[in-house]
Amino acid sequence: MRRIIIDYKKCDGCINCTIACMQAHREDEGTIYDLDLTDPANESRNKSVRAEDGTYRPLFCRHCKEPECVMTCMSGALRKDAENGLVTYDETRCAACFMCVMHCPYGTIKPANSLQKIIKCDFCAADGYEPNCVKACPKKAIHVEEVEA
Amino acid sequence: MRHVIIGSSAAGIAAAAEIRKHQKDAVIVMISKDEHVHSRCMLHKYISHERDVKGLDFTEENFFENQKVDYIQNEVISVLEDEKCVLLRSGEQIPYDKLLIASGAGSFIPPIGDLRTADNVFGMRNLSDAQAIDKMADSAQNVLVIGAGLAGMDAAYAMLERGKKVTVLEMSHRILPVQLDAHSAEVYQRKFESKGTIFYLGRRLEKTISGTGGQICRVVLDTGENIDCDVIIVAAGVRPTIDFLDKSKVEAGRGILVDACLQTNIRDIYAAGDVTGLSGIWPNAVKQGTVAARNMCGIAEKYTDTFNEKNMMNFFGIVTLYLGQICTRKDEVVLTEEDRNVYRRVSIREGKVTGVLLQGDISNAGVWQYLIKNEIDISHIKKNIFQISYADFFSVKADGEYRWKCEGQNFKF
Repeated sequence: MRRIIIDYKKCDGCINCTIACMQAHREDEGTIYDLDLTDPANESRNKSVRAEDGTYRPLFCRHCKEPECVMTCMSGALRKDAENGLVTYDETRCAACFMCVMHCPYGTIKPANSLQKIIKCDFCAADGYEPNCVKACPKKAIHVEEVEA
Repeated sequence: MRHVIIGSSAAGIAAAAEIRKHQKDAVIVMISKDEHVHSRCMLHKYISHERDVKGLDFTEENFFENQKVDYIQNEVISVLEDEKCVLLRSGEQIPYDKLLIASGAGSFIPPIGDLRTADNVFGMRNLSDAQAIDKMADSAQNVLVIGAGLAGMDAAYAMLERGKKVTVLEMSHRILPVQLDAHSAEVYQRKFESKGTIFYLGRRLEKTISGTGGQICRVVLDTGENIDCDVIIVAAGVRPTIDFLDKSKVEAGRGILVDACLQTNIRDIYAAGDVTGLSGIWPNAVKQGTVAARNMCGIAEKYTDTFNEKNMMNFFGIVTLYLGQICTRKDEVVLTEEDRNVYRRVSIREGKVTGVLLQGDISNAGVWQYLIKNEIDISHIKKNIFQISYADFFSVKADGEYRWKCEGQNFKF
């Protein structure tokens, strides 16, 4: 499967990845220049957290080999795709129970601000599975690589 | 190889999918009383008309065809371990090489008055319960819910959505006593009350009064108070479904007894999910089903992720999560943080997190579960505890997956 590989030492916390994610998943039309960063509906699937020493830790969904989120999903909304290895999310099936939020050991899932669904990485499926965060990273701290599923 | 699975809920379905992953040509037979596979955690959404029967199905599209699982809708009345087969209500015998018992649990109806015999009293466990409650709700006005745990409050919420007058009876002095502390419980109680729910807390049901037609029309409490009701939903706990094992040699206490690999005392017979009594929650049932399936396929694996003090609720747009121990011991330190929408509470003993309660904002909360179940020492982290995240334990494996990094500690999971 293809996975976003993280080299945290290269991350300088510019959060271009976060803005790119919000832009890629916004519901209205527009460019990054008119993206409303304060609209609660515009949420990012990734973040980079500043550590004590001033360096950064990019926190991105791993699309795990044995995803805890999938195991805990009681509606069938979350699946591990046997073909491409991604953990997919079907919001039409989601019951908003948020058990997945409680089970991701890395805290990469959150409820949407609407509390009607979750916010989780979809590997930018709508853009041909070319993640916009990766395209936006000026430091090459994240890149896509083929790994064993 | 011929695998037979009793039960079609979380553990059973997970086991069938896992067996198929390892054995492409094995025969998999699933036997269940259910006409439709359904997620028991969503029954209240059926009662509230938010979902139909199809909307309760948690399996992937064409699961049984694609995974080549034969579904027999019938009831197992006996396990004949010497003949290696199970006996169905229809009289048919189904042979197995490996058997998984994932028959789940059933509602416990207390033996008080006519509760067990009246025809307007229901559990909250199967689709058939939800369908019966839904039907009654068309004409019933006064709904009595016995038990203010999660299932009871789900039922109460669904009945409010249907516009019913809801009364909740609970032995404990607060609602959701296992999951919440007094502060967070009160937030929900006030919301329910503002929608018309009446609570009788710290009281017990003493007797029932039946009207004509075998229906309970009034109950009397230990305080002498009376509650009128048209329909009663009992959510006072569950008991493992093991009555069909009465004549078998499979050992059971309150639930079926299993070893670390989820095998029973009888070779080739495994058990997983609520029927084991190990836990009563979905993710643990799935994990048990998966582990049992691997062992049934000859892949030795132990069920180790046994942590089960966890759950989540979402009522009136307020989410709450609890993990670990909510009742605080004397040697614990409790830290809280609160604003008008959010309440957070963490208890710590000897540098380790023992309990977490988050209300209003549960974002990225999975980290807390990991900290508690692995008993990770956080005393070296010198910052606001509510700012702790996976970033404090960050490490990446060669294949890009994360792993938890913490000096001098080995993690079980």
